[in-house]
Amino acid sequence: MVKESKANHSIKNKYFRIIVFVFSLIIIMGTVFFIFINYEQDELSRDRESLQNKADTISEMASTLNDVFFRARGFTLLKDENELKLLNVALVNFDKILDTYSNLNLTSEEALFRDGLKSFYVQYKNKTLPEAIRLVEADNYAALRALAEDGSTKSVNDFLTYTKEYRLRSDTELNNMALDYIKRANEFTFITFFFSTIILLFFTFMIWRILKNLINPILKLEGATHSLAAGEEILLGKLKNQDEIGRLYTAFLNMARSIQDKEEELMMQNEELHAQQDELQDQQYRLQRSLSEIESMMKALNQSSAVGILTDKGVFTYANDNLSKYTGYKNSEVIGFTYKLLELYNISREQMQKIFNKLNTGGVWSDELQILTKDGLPIWMHLTIVPYLNNDGVIYQYILIAYDITSMKSVQLELAETLKNTEQTKKMLELNNQLNHDITYTLDKHEFADKFIQFMHHLYSFDSSFFLLVKDKIAAVKGIPQENVERYLDNENNEMLYRLKTEKTYLIKRLATQSEQGISANEVYCYDFYTTVVNAEDEILAVFCGSRIGHSFSKEEINEVQGMMNRVALAIERLFMYEEIEHGRKLNRDIVNNVNEGIQFVNTEGMMLQMNKALCNMVNFEWTEGTLIPRKEWMDYFIECSNEKDKLWLFFEQAIAEYSLESSSMQYSIGTEPMKHIDVYAIPVFRRELRIGTLFVYRDITREYELDLMKSDLVSTVSHELRTPLSSVLGFTELLLSKTMKPEKQLKYLETIHKEAKRLTELINDFLDLQRMESGKQQYITEHVNLSEIVLGVIDQYKLSSTHHVLLVDEALNAEVDVDKDKIVQVLTNLLSNAIKFSPSSNEVKVLLHNEPDHIIVRIQDNGLGIPKDQIGQLFQKFRRVDNSASKRIGGTGLGLAICKEIIEKQKGTIGIDSVEGEGTTVWFSLPILNAEASRQQDELNKWNADKELKPNVMIVEDDYSLSLLLSEELKGKGFRVTHHYHPQQAFDQALKTPFVAIVVDLMLGEELDGWDLIRMLKDDSRTENIPIVISSALDQSDKNQLNDVIQKYLTKPYPPGELSNTLEEIVKIKTGVGEVLFPESKKHL
Amino acid sequence: MQKIMVVDDEEVLRMLIEDTLEDLENVEIHTAENGLEALTKLSADHFDLVILDYMMPEMTGIEVLQQLDEEKKSTTAILMLTAKAQDVDRIRAVEAGARYFMPKPFSPMELLQIVEGILSGEGK
Repeated sequence: MVKESKANHSIKNKYFRIIVFVFSLIIIMGTVFFIFINYEQDELSRDRESLQNKADTISEMASTLNDVFFRARGFTLLKDENELKLLNVALVNFDKILDTYSNLNLTSEEALFRDGLKSFYVQYKNKTLPEAIRLVEADNYAALRALAEDGSTKSVNDFLTYTKEYRLRSDTELNNMALDYIKRANEFTFITFFFSTIILLFFTFMIWRILKNLINPILKLEGATHSLAAGEEILLGKLKNQDEIGRLYTAFLNMARSIQDKEEELMMQNEELHAQQDELQDQQYRLQRSLSEIESMMKALNQSSAVGILTDKGVFTYANDNLSKYTGYKNSEVIGFTYKLLELYNISREQMQKIFNKLNTGGVWSDELQILTKDGLPIWMHLTIVPYLNNDGVIYQYILIAYDITSMKSVQLELAETLKNTEQTKKMLELNNQLNHDITYTLDKHEFADKFIQFMHHLYSFDSSFFLLVKDKIAAVKGIPQENVERYLDNENNEMLYRLKTEKTYLIKRLATQSEQGISANEVYCYDFYTTVVNAEDEILAVFCGSRIGHSFSKEEINEVQGMMNRVALAIERLFMYEEIEHGRKLNRDIVNNVNEGIQFVNTEGMMLQMNKALCNMVNFEWTEGTLIPRKEWMDYFIECSNEKDKLWLFFEQAIAEYSLESSSMQYSIGTEPMKHIDVYAIPVFRRELRIGTLFVYRDITREYELDLMKSDLVSTVSHELRTPLSSVLGFTELLLSKTMKPEKQLKYLETIHKEAKRLTELINDFLDLQRMESGKQQYITEHVNLSEIVLGVIDQYKLSSTHHVLLVDEALNAEVDVDKDKIVQVLTNLLSNAIKFSPSSNEVKVLLHNEPDHIIVRIQDNGLGIPKDQIGQLFQKFRRVDNSASKRIGGTGLGLAICKEIIEKQKGTIGIDSVEGEGTTVWFSLPILNAEASRQQDELNKWNADKELKPNVMIVEDDYSLSLLLSEELKGKGFRVTHHYHPQQAFDQALKTPFVAIVVDLMLGEELDGWDLIRMLKDDSRTENIPIVISSALDQSDKNQLNDVIQKYLTKPYPPGELSNTLEEIVKIKTGVGEVLFPESKKHL
Repeated sequence: MQKIMVVDDEEVLRMLIEDTLEDLENVEIHTAENGLEALTKLSADHFDLVILDYMMPEMTGIEVLQQLDEEKKSTTAILMLTAKAQDVDRIRAVEAGARYFMPKPFSPMELLQIVEGILSGEGK
């Protein structure tokens, strides 16, 4: 690839290709040109030849014709046969030549000429000649002459003339042709010359190009080489060409660069060498300078310090003047003596040893020492001893430099003393600061007292102390037994205060007690220092008392403490103030938090500073005391909760705005189910004319709102409910008054009016009842009653109902309740009549009683219209009737259930409805029973029984409800489930549906059918014939006759109820169950 | 023969209105006991006047009017008869398309007069 691309970019290849191309072009062009010339020449020679040929043929023809005429003349003249023969031969020749001529390429003129010749020839041969011959034969020369003159001779002459002309012409033409040829040849020569010149020019151009392409870069390279040699920067751009020169260029550039790099490196090395040399010179110079410096330093040293030189043995060999000046020894007194001459003061043996050790190892030793002078005075010297080593590393001498620092030393000592004092002052200050801090920031009194005592101990080293805040009786003690403190507070407090009132401070000196004396052998005195803290009104705020053992108080100390007490007074007053404020704040907070209304305070920027608990609960917002909630945060939350977002936002904005100076209010709601209605009012809050914020007060008005709504709803409903019957009453009355009509119609109208008026009254009564109950004005007179009894009593009233039969299934063992009997009767009546009213197509209503823990449940069940599921919940509200046409027709005030609910709930019961539309409704209520405890045990028992076998079912068919109640109570007690019936037919139907273990029948039943009829019906039916029947009746003898051996037991009224239950138990026990009819054994009277 | 329909869920009131209007000549009176029945009858037949009760179960008088098409409303006069006689109710009734309004309790003779007026083309 690379090679190929190189080859592509090669100059050799490039120009080789061009030259080859040009060569081929020249050769092709030359060849073409040559062929063309050849062709042209051929053409010309061919033309010439044909022309020549023609001319020859014509001349031949002319000679032949001449020959013909010659021979003809000869013949005519000579009459020689031979001449005739030759004439014929000539004619044949002429004919042949004519043919040859005819075959030549002829022009039109020539063709004309040929035709003339031919016709002449034919004329001559066929006519003239034979004529002539004949004339000759006949020797008629006159005719012959005539014939000759006839013109044939003329045409022959014309022809001959033409031939001559033609010959001339063809010669001319040939000449022309030769001229033309020469001209053409000249042209070709010129073209060839021109062509060659162009090729020459082209080659010259090519060579010039090649030279230019080659020479230019080479020249540049030359220049670059020169500049490289001269060491200049090579300013060569990269060549675009990739050919040999381009590559040479690149190679050269690389070479040049590497050469330059090397050169630079060399230069750098060179410079470095120069720098090193410079440095060396510099060092040398510096050394010389140092030397002179050292010399001058030595001079200076000599002047300022004492300098001595000692041998390795410690003998002075040199001492300068200063040494003698410091030590008092003269030079001569020093030199030659050992160092021991100068007595070292206050130095131990070990220290000396250390110094020697250091010096012997070649180290420099330097320290401050006291030396005795010749006069015996100690002076402070700063000594430096430098050992000098010889080449073997052995010490050969020491140089000692010393200067007097005595004055400096004394200053130093003074300074240390001052420093110590300062340190102490600082400590004091720190302690004071601490006290200040403590008394400023401690807000708790106990803590304050403790801190104060600690501080005092620290500062004045009391052995024991005591600090009492008089008002609060808060005492802090240290080192004093608790009992002493109590004694102080209880008894002597007043006395102490009494003395302190007059004397702010006093000191007591007393003998130390045994415990204070401790292990001290001697008697020790104890000093008690008492002082007070008083406020501006000279009131004693606190008392401080401190004791020291064996160590009295200085006047300064006492003053100091007193000064401190003034500060403490301020602190205590501040504490009191803080407490008062704190108390006030707490009180305010408690008040705010215990208000039912939500309270919120917002500053002028909208930052919420305060909200109370009621508001937190109301809007469900978490807020901790003291946190600030930014405007956006709380407002967004409040607005997001509300249902009137825009309105509330506007309200907040306007209320917070600084220009609003009056309070405003609005109502809004929160949430959906349940909806909270809130009334909020905003009050701008001012502090001395300056607006500081806004107070929002929120009031939960949900109840009021709902009451309002309910009230207006109620008013509208009541008015509607009243207007409808009123419309009828007024309308029909008016009709009666204004129209004449038949008496029947009048009666009908009157009846309607009466009915509607009654409905109106009922409505008003119900409404007033309910109103009274709801407003709590209704009195309830509770008494002990048996609910079963009440239920039976109410059912009793429906006995005569022709449409519905009311059946009671009583399973309640404990039906004792504490209720208002009349009200419960009202409820039952209401519910039963509802059940009957709303089950028009059925003929039975069932009442069921049973116990649940602590309660008795009464259920009134019908198979009537039922209630749509979505309306069940509303039925206990006022004026709510099942909203459909079928029930509308039935009518009612729509208040009955509301009244029932009110009554039952006032008796601590609950009421409810279960219903399936189209199938029937069960209204139930439960009431708390008395003796719940006892009945619960009974329940347990029953449950146990129930587990073993189902409760035996017994039906009582009895129309006297008190008797029926008596029986059922007895039977329920024995664990039977009792179903009451009062109608024989219904009882029979029931017997078919429910399996009874026995049926108790009263013989004296209604008017249509009696007990006997029932017994008969039961016995006649195969499904019921096996059920044992117990007759409970006042039976006379005649009836007995009717028994016909079918009745097993017979109870005569009145009989003890136990009798019946015993009988029934027996039946169940023996399970005879085969259709016996029983009668009572005993006829004992109750 | 002109046709009137009385729509009221209270049988007694239907009877009262029927009896009030029975003496009108050339008038046929129909009744409907709820809104649905009224709408069915209205779609099947043309009535000159509908006396419509406001408070009815399942469908109020207003709802009946709302379901009635505009064409029927323009050719049938509606008299709203209602126990809800506050201004709000009156406005609501008129908005729904009732041309006449009468509060309960009403005077049958007055009703008669109004109906006569409506049927004779007065106020059309």
